[in-house]
Amino acid sequence: MATIEFVDVTKEYPNAKTPAVDNVSFTVHEGAICMLLGTSGSGKTTLLRMVNRLIDPTSGEIRIDGVPTTQQDPIALRRSIGYVIQQVGLFPHLSIEDNVRVVPSILGKSAAETRDRVDELLHLVGLEPAEYRKRYPRQLSGGQQQRVGLARALAADPAVLLMDEPFGALDAITRARLQDELLNVQRGVRKTILFVTHDVEEAFKLGDQIVVMSEGKLVQEGSPIELLAQPASDFVRQLVGADNILRQFEYQPVTAALEPATDAAQERIAADERLLPALLRLIQMRNGALAVVRDGETLGQVSLASVFASVQSIHRNASAASGEHNRSADSAPVIR
Amino acid sequence: MSYILDGYNWDLTDPGSIPNLLIAHISITFVSVLIGLAIAFPLAFLVARFKHLYLPTVTTAGILYTIPSLALFALLIPFTAFSQATVLIPLVIYTQVVLIRNIVAGIRAVDPQLVEVGRAMGMNSWQLQWRVVLPLAMPVIIAGIRVVTVTTIGIATLAPWVGTEDLGTLMYQGFNFARSDMEAAGTILVIALAVAADLLLLGVQAALSRGQRVNALSEA
Ligand SMILES: Nc1ncnc2c1ncn2[C@@H]1O[C@H](COP(=O)(O)OP(=O)(O)OP(=O)(O)O)[C@@H](O)[C@H]1O
Ligand SMILES: [Mg+2]
Repeated sequence: MATIEFVDVTKEYPNAKTPAVDNVSFTVHEGAICMLLGTSGSGKTTLLRMVNRLIDPTSGEIRIDGVPTTQQDPIALRRSIGYVIQQVGLFPHLSIEDNVRVVPSILGKSAAETRDRVDELLHLVGLEPAEYRKRYPRQLSGGQQQRVGLARALAADPAVLLMDEPFGALDAITRARLQDELLNVQRGVRKTILFVTHDVEEAFKLGDQIVVMSEGKLVQEGSPIELLAQPASDFVRQLVGADNILRQFEYQPVTAALEPATDAAQERIAADERLLPALLRLIQMRNGALAVVRDGETLGQVSLASVFASVQSIHRNASAASGEHNRSADSAPVIR
Repeated sequence: MSYILDGYNWDLTDPGSIPNLLIAHISITFVSVLIGLAIAFPLAFLVARFKHLYLPTVTTAGILYTIPSLALFALLIPFTAFSQATVLIPLVIYTQVVLIRNIVAGIRAVDPQLVEVGRAMGMNSWQLQWRVVLPLAMPVIIAGIRVVTVTTIGIATLAPWVGTEDLGTLMYQGFNFARSDMEAAGTILVIALAVAADLLLLGVQAALSRGQRVNALSEA
């Protein structure tokens, strides 16, 4: 695992009027999924490729576990960082097995040594090794190829994973399935992941942290809830859809609508659940309340009234001028 | 046909027999193409990287290619006399233009994205060339080797003019002694050898491009 710090990172391409990445600073904590979200040309890919030194910053530095990347040999650095791109980029002349073991093999490991590892990785990404090991990339669907791309990136057990719109070319259903599986895989491997996307839903679904980029600048950085509750500008508000009540229901935890427990609470709901399932349950129950529990301890309850109140206050806050916080936004919990 | 079928001409102890001439022809071709590749590969990788060297290199190789073989033999005889070198040097020179062009074309046709992926995986420049660029360029390179091999088999029939025996000897002597059956035998054997070599290399080309070939099939 590893912490990645961006410190005043700037990248100017020759002959460009404005920097592709402009003085960007933020920290990605160990084991977190950080989503780089922004419109086309906002510098996401450039920022990502500076981490494994495919590009070097014009100024500023990137530190992995406190060590500036410029102090590391680029070849060794890249071998210790997984890399997945939208175009997948499997080597067409190599079998799936040989594609997955590219990094171990350039590190000098033989096919015999890596056989078990390849099987393990193919299992991990949901491909039956016996069926797929000997196939060639062209014999796989786009979704299957991207699974292999993920397996290849994980092969040498890197602490850091860079993913540049990995699911961007897939249909909605396959994309959703791969997103779920990435979360599944991540539960087991706990990598520090930097994930580029321009899909807001994807950013919210996968991200522990979202970094919003625009024209090379970091516009806002925070958890999905923080972005929804306190968008730093109209740009972010529109981008994340902070005015969208459904999205609020989807991503706000039930604790955002907490009120003191009463006898009305007939059922229980876990504190890390979102408002939406709570709301649906309350509607089904026609009324009443749900006791919000964490580790067996009752924190309070949510009722239709408290849910509506919380969303209204979030919505009011989101529509208000940025910088002006009210009670509900300030107390919006941060999920990690 | 009578000359080829005559068992007398297959006597291995006779240096002028068909099998011995065939072996000589194959070895001249093989050695020329091999030396040709040994020169063309480094040159091609060099000019693929330093692009401004490409035009002068290919132009020079092209000009050398246009010199008639007999003229080149004549130029060499003062230095190498009637040794095998007099045959091999022109043959090697003639391979260069096609080999360099095809190797460079093969390298340039490699998807830069795949090279970039290799780099991102942490390959050093040697590993990039060896594991990504070369294998992906191979089908185009083998196509060049096929052309060069067939051409070399043809030009090598002139070897007897400068004292090296191969299948050309049958044509040369058949012409000198007005033996049309000998001439025909030489022609048939040279064509057969060229076709066989071409098919063999075609097989190699197919085997080396498995991943790509599968692509062609699955998209058909
Ligand atoms: N190699 C390069 N040379 C010059 N300019 C470049 C280069 N690569 C990117 N740029 C410019 O830098 C800016 C940021 O590009 P970048 O690829 O990082 O954007 P992005 O956020 O990844 O966009 P997208 O979502 O379309 O992939 C763009 O204006 C782009 O034109
Ligand atoms: Mg990009």
